Amino acid sequence: MAAHARARADASGGRFLDPTVLARIENLELLARTVVDGFLNGLHRSPYLGFSLDFAEHRPYMPGDDIRRIDWSLFGRTDRHYIKLFEAETNANFVVLLDVSRSLSYTSHSVSKLDYARYLAAALTFFSHRQRDRVGLVTFDHEIVDYVPPSMKHMETVLHVLDRAEARRAGALAAPMLTIAERLRRKGILVLISDFYEEVDAIMSQVLPLRGRGHDLIVFHVLDPAELEFPFDEASGFEDLETGEQIPVIPGRLREDYRRLVQRHVAELDQRFSSNMVDYRVLDTSQPLDLALFAYLSARERLSRIR
Amino acid sequence: MSLTFLVPLFLLGVAGIAVPVVLHLTRRQRKQVVMFPSLMFLEMIPFQEQRRRRIQHWLLLSLRALALALLAVAFARPFFDDSELTGAGAGGPHEVVVLLDRSYSMAIGSQWDRAVREARAVSDGLGPLDRASLVVFSQGAHVLLRSTSDPARFRGALDTVSVGSGTTRYGPALKVAQTILEESRLPSGRVVLVSDFQRVGWTGDEGVRLPAGSEVVPVVVRDEIGENIQVTDVALLRQSSSGRERVTPTARVARRGGGGPAEVSLALELDGQEIQTRSVRLGADGAASVAFAPFTLSVPHTRGTVRVPADDIEADDARHFVVSPGRATSVVIVHGARANQDASLYLRRALETSDEGRFRVRTRRGDGLRPTDLQDTDVLILNDARVDGASAELLRGFVEGGGGVLVVLGESASWPASATDLLPGIVGPVQDRTDSRGGRLGFIEYGHPVFEVFQGPRSGDFSGARFFRARGFNAADSAQIVARFNDGSVAMAEVRLGRGRVLVWTSTLDAYWNDLALQPVFLPFAHRVSDYLSGKADVVPWFTAGQVLNLADPGALEAAGLASPEAAGIAESQEQVVLAPSGGSVRIAAMEGPRYVALEERGFYVIRPPGVDPERPFTIAVNVDLSESSREVLDPSELVAQVTAPMVDAPAGPSFEAVELRREDQERRQSLWRYLLVGAFALLLLETVLSNWVSRRTVGTPGAATG
Repeated sequence: MAAHARARADASGGRFLDPTVLARIENLELLARTVVDGFLNGLHRSPYLGFSLDFAEHRPYMPGDDIRRIDWSLFGRTDRHYIKLFEAETNANFVVLLDVSRSLSYTSHSVSKLDYARYLAAALTFFSHRQRDRVGLVTFDHEIVDYVPPSMKHMETVLHVLDRAEARRAGALAAPMLTIAERLRRKGILVLISDFYEEVDAIMSQVLPLRGRGHDLIVFHVLDPAELEFPFDEASGFEDLETGEQIPVIPGRLREDYRRLVQRHVAELDQRFSSNMVDYRVLDTSQPLDLALFAYLSARERLSRIR
Repeated sequence: MSLTFLVPLFLLGVAGIAVPVVLHLTRRQRKQVVMFPSLMFLEMIPFQEQRRRRIQHWLLLSLRALALALLAVAFARPFFDDSELTGAGAGGPHEVVVLLDRSYSMAIGSQWDRAVREARAVSDGLGPLDRASLVVFSQGAHVLLRSTSDPARFRGALDTVSVGSGTTRYGPALKVAQTILEESRLPSGRVVLVSDFQRVGWTGDEGVRLPAGSEVVPVVVRDEIGENIQVTDVALLRQSSSGRERVTPTARVARRGGGGPAEVSLALELDGQEIQTRSVRLGADGAASVAFAPFTLSVPHTRGTVRVPADDIEADDARHFVVSPGRATSVVIVHGARANQDASLYLRRALETSDEGRFRVRTRRGDGLRPTDLQDTDVLILNDARVDGASAELLRGFVEGGGGVLVVLGESASWPASATDLLPGIVGPVQDRTDSRGGRLGFIEYGHPVFEVFQGPRSGDFSGARFFRARGFNAADSAQIVARFNDGSVAMAEVRLGRGRVLVWTSTLDAYWNDLALQPVFLPFAHRVSDYLSGKADVVPWFTAGQVLNLADPGALEAAGLASPEAAGIAESQEQVVLAPSGGSVRIAAMEGPRYVALEERGFYVIRPPGVDPERPFTIAVNVDLSESSREVLDPSELVAQVTAPMVDAPAGPSFEAVELRREDQERRQSLWRYLLVGAFALLLLETVLSNWVSRRTVGTPGAATG
């Protein structure tokens, strides 16, 4: 599937969705715009994806506006160019819950998990802001690090906070999730991005209360390809990025066991989240971002239908 | 008694133990650390095996560390310091040099056994701090053992020594002793000279001076003998008749000492078979020549021995020789067409007059050369002949290939201008000296091989010959003037070209231009010229013990009896095996430069290529130097006085050097390092076995991690 997505991204000019390319763009807003525009171009304006919008008003056409948005029937009647403006159907709260624990700093290639998560968060925030959602951001490790309450005006703030987010401390979901649940009282769309290095039961007990409070929850599980494949060869000491603990490892002998445990962990998360109406996606940081965006849009569409 | 170390600095090597430990730790902690987001899943995998392997790894590490420690301690040369030895050897330890005479005169009676006993007694009497060297000598000296404090080694070396065939020379042995004492750090030196003290071994001008304070202890082992009969020489007279060569051996036998006349029998052995015996009656200190019946010489390298019955000195009771059939020198005389009819008469007759058939002479009349003239020819004589350019080119190849040419310049002789380099100069017009009653030879280079035999008084007189005519000759710078007339003009000159040589005689060799051919000296002169031009060396029938033979020198091999092609073959061959008379063999390896064979034993040496057993191998006879048979005695005190310096008072009590040496001596005697090395290697072996076993077990265990 990943290969298929990459092929599709390449074919549609979506090379801008490649995280290694995005890593070269320093301005996060430009990055988000690039991602979203590139992604939408790649969709060919599919009628089945997106949101229905209500007509709001007309305004005169100005150079630079998309000519496809010109109301040609009005032009026929008035012989003037007018642009149709729509009002978003939703005006929901959209909050990204971003894990910035130290384990997110890991990378086996050019893009760390935190960078990938940051691009994803920026793109989704930008996307939602286009949909006229109120956007917010919470970064956390074992406690809340930064909190940007959801607002229509907080787009740039969110991007700024994302831009300076750093993975420095050990992480734990319990305290931040509790705090978030208390602060975000109004229902909204919550996007939780983390690497979930905790027991499945613990994760569920800490994350599902958000769902219980009526939030629509979309979970992105960000993992580096090395965490999935465990491609190491030489016998080495492995050190935990968060705790500093070291253990000696012969990778060749542990690889299969390790993969099996990771797959089981992911499968359990998937099953438990799904059964609780939470959309769950595992994201490989070597894959293009459009996979995540597709997942997000699918979830939004599904949620909108349910709603 | 306490454990101490001779070279404690090596103990720093123990720090090397830390190397594997540090490597072990650093490799774990630094070099091979992988940062990973979380060990959550890795820690879920059980690795009890890892703990067990860690323990085993430490065991291997301990073995390696212990082996390293043992190695370091071994190199530090540990020993137990025994204070009881401190005071031994008052006056300081001695550097003792035992000089043992092994010349063949030491075989008389029980001299050798006594000499060995005396040498052994010296080693038995060594103090714990003394060191001894063993030097055996005859005409040369050989250090068998250098500065050892181990009496067992000294006795072992002594057991390998036997009497040789050399002659006594004290000089080289004492110089070796001088060197050993000068290089020694021990406070005093002592030279023990065990010999029969023959006068011939010491001339007094050897220039030996032992270090100050050194002591020379002469040990005289000498048995008196009644008489000694020796074969002093063997003359081999060759005669050729009917194409066969016959040799008549004549032995010279001498009797030293003895009383009244005694009958002495001599036996002639050929190739190990006794073929003739003769008897001669000799008085006290008498000598006689004994001629044996001639024998036919048909095969090369025939071994011969003339032997008298064994007496007290066996080495001079036999005289060995090797003879090979001689090859006549082929001489071609090209007689000029315009020369006098009998211009070559005297020359041809002189060369044909030889009992041994040394020269095979062919004569052809005519100018110019033909290829047949040079075929199987050793010497070419151009007697008043005209030489054209083509002939000169033929001649050039002949000379450069090793041939010899004598150009006799008569009235008709001419030489092409294109080949002047073949002559030692330029031929000029005829110079007539009849008005002044002829000239004489005014200068002769007696150092030249042609005239060498005429050097002595009554050995040949050239002054009687008168020369009335000769061709003028302008000698080149590269020419050697061998003889001049009394007016300074050139009589004989030589030039070398390639491997050959060209002689020019500026007058004739007949009775027209001079009367040299009528002089008695003419015949040996003609023989010497032909011998010299043929390039053949004088063959020696035997060598003397102590000489060396250079296998890379074809000339030396020809002198030893080899024909030219064979000598060239051996000189250029890659490798040779030399079989000594005692049965031992030595391989003379292929290499650039000289390849010497030391002829130290009397008897017959055989030289052949490795892996080949020819029917008649190249053989060399070696006889002893008869001067060793002389029983004239040297006063040992005379020798001692000449080689020792005045005594210098030594400092009282053991010096610093003595203490250092005592420690070295103790360490050497105990040799604890050997045991430590064995222990270290045993540990390393155990470690290897153990690590292999661990490795095999580890491979079969899944899910294990290393420490």
